[in-house]
Amino acid sequence: MERTERILDLVALLLDAREPISWAELREHFPSDYGGSDDAAERKFERDKAELVELGFPLTYVQGDDERRDGYIVDRDAYYLPEADLTKEELAVLYAAGSAALASGAFPGRDDLAHALRKIGFFAGESLPTPRVRMELGAVQEGEEKEVSARLEQLWDACAARKWVDLTYASPKHPTATQRKVDPYGLALRRGVWTLVGHCHLRGGMRTFHVHRIREMKVNTARPRTPDFQVPEDFSLDAHVAYFPWQHRFHEPMEVTLRLSGALASRAGSLLPGAMLESAGEEGVVRARMRVSFLDGLVRFCLALGPDCRVEGPESAQARHKEMATRIVERHEEPHEKVSA
Amino acid sequence: MSNVHERLRRLLFLVPYVSKHPGVTVEALAKALNISREDLLEELDLLTCVGRPPFNPDDYIDIYVDNDRVYVDLDQRLFAPPRLTPGEAAALAAAAELLRPAAGDALQSALQKLERVLPPSTRERYREMYRKIDASADAPQALGPLTRAIIERLEVTFAYATPGRAPESRRVRPYELLSHRGQWYLQGFDHMRQDARLFRLDRMEDITVTDTAFLPPPDARADVPNPARSRTETSVRVRFSPVAAPYVKERFGRDARPLADGGVEVVVAGDSERWLTQWVLSFGGEAQVVEPASARAAVARAARASVG
Repeated sequence: MERTERILDLVALLLDAREPISWAELREHFPSDYGGSDDAAERKFERDKAELVELGFPLTYVQGDDERRDGYIVDRDAYYLPEADLTKEELAVLYAAGSAALASGAFPGRDDLAHALRKIGFFAGESLPTPRVRMELGAVQEGEEKEVSARLEQLWDACAARKWVDLTYASPKHPTATQRKVDPYGLALRRGVWTLVGHCHLRGGMRTFHVHRIREMKVNTARPRTPDFQVPEDFSLDAHVAYFPWQHRFHEPMEVTLRLSGALASRAGSLLPGAMLESAGEEGVVRARMRVSFLDGLVRFCLALGPDCRVEGPESAQARHKEMATRIVERHEEPHEKVSA
Repeated sequence: MSNVHERLRRLLFLVPYVSKHPGVTVEALAKALNISREDLLEELDLLTCVGRPPFNPDDYIDIYVDNDRVYVDLDQRLFAPPRLTPGEAAALAAAAELLRPAAGDALQSALQKLERVLPPSTRERYREMYRKIDASADAPQALGPLTRAIIERLEVTFAYATPGRAPESRRVRPYELLSHRGQWYLQGFDHMRQDARLFRLDRMEDITVTDTAFLPPPDARADVPNPARSRTETSVRVRFSPVAAPYVKERFGRDARPLADGGVEVVVAGDSERWLTQWVLSFGGEAQVVEPASARAAVARAARASVG
């Protein structure tokens, strides 16, 4: 009997049983599957049991007493999905977001997500909302989607099981790819880019990796049910993944002050989330103080905002702003012939 | 995950689904399970062999196809799907976070209800796994009313601020919301232009959902904005230094032409001087407009203004 069929038979048997089913009875019921030596049969059943538990099947072994015999039993109430009584709006949110994540082609736990959507839609009948939200991930080129999707799925499994991964990483900052062993703590999505956060054994500390830059990856297959590492209790993905360019942890953090005027003044809060804002003492001018761990990232952002955004201090930041702007002027004032030289 | 695991999950859902929807067509069932018709028929064949000891005729699942419709007479207690596993609930909760800023109370209550349908023994595992995906994207508040308008097929009005121009009042039939590289867009039929248009959500103000209903076309699908693929009369050639080249290659793929010095060149649509200037400036000197001269001058002007 093939394994899928045997496990479904076990489900049917255990869901129907009113009394615990002993190992001896199971062997009687499935003589060709659990035949052979005791050891081999037990190993086979252990693997089936592990699969049942993975499926969410609430299987337990009860020790017998005067009134009940030893054996396996299942809590039926814990098995069946109860109706979640989601309102129309709640179902719409879950469906719109879940379907968009699936359609993006790359979401960790893609298979889990697809099953979850089916299950929560089970009681909805014909009233399932039609999702009209789409997500296109950035930094993933045509033809690369499948690879990124497969990596995310592997990483999701490794994160869930807490198994280390061995990866080949191609950072644009380095000419050659590096080989690293990483304990994957979690995955974060920022501006359409998936980032792996974990403990890098090569660097001996926390590091982030863009998933689309992982060239090759293997998950540790030794002792699959035993975790390789613990994630610290206070770990937070958000603390490690940059949302804005100046948040990349390239340098020691420094405080930078910006001056925003004109149309930018009223948008300062949304342009620079987390910055401390105050009036600069002039009508319609706002001063923003912020901690910056990648100065060039902030300066480039400021340049793109235009002359209504100026760097006030410290001097080193002002100088960098001026240096970059001057370089741009020089490069665009050169005669055309020199450009292509 | 193994193929056996995936198949088991599918089969444990299939029987309850047919029990709940007797006479579902083979096509609709295959679509619900996201498998081909052939694979579905194979799964149905397998299920007819599933039962419980002592395997008398009444102990087997009785599921069959009649006139291209699927029925189940004996479900062997598989009348409802299994509860969500911690992984399934965690993946769904993390995906729902994508719309957090726009979903308001509905998201919070949906997540609470989701947790309640988990077996109590697995809730801690679910919370642990949920912390492992952070997809709390930058979805704007405007997603809320726009999602509602799309689902209820109602026209919307808003003030749209095109850079360099005064905000214009628009009336639009909303078809689809699109997030691309963290930027949100609405695609819909614009009454003013009498054509389908893409609007950036961060440029919309005063969104109102009207009472005017409409029927969306079945195939409305927004094109992903890509300045390197836009067809405009004015194209701009931009070169990037070897330092910036790897990042530009990631963004533009085969649209980035390699140069002898290790840099790359990209030709982009030049119909928005403001966008182009901002974009070139954001490379802090690692990008250079080659032509046309007007675009070069615009970038030089903007950089000079920043120096003060």
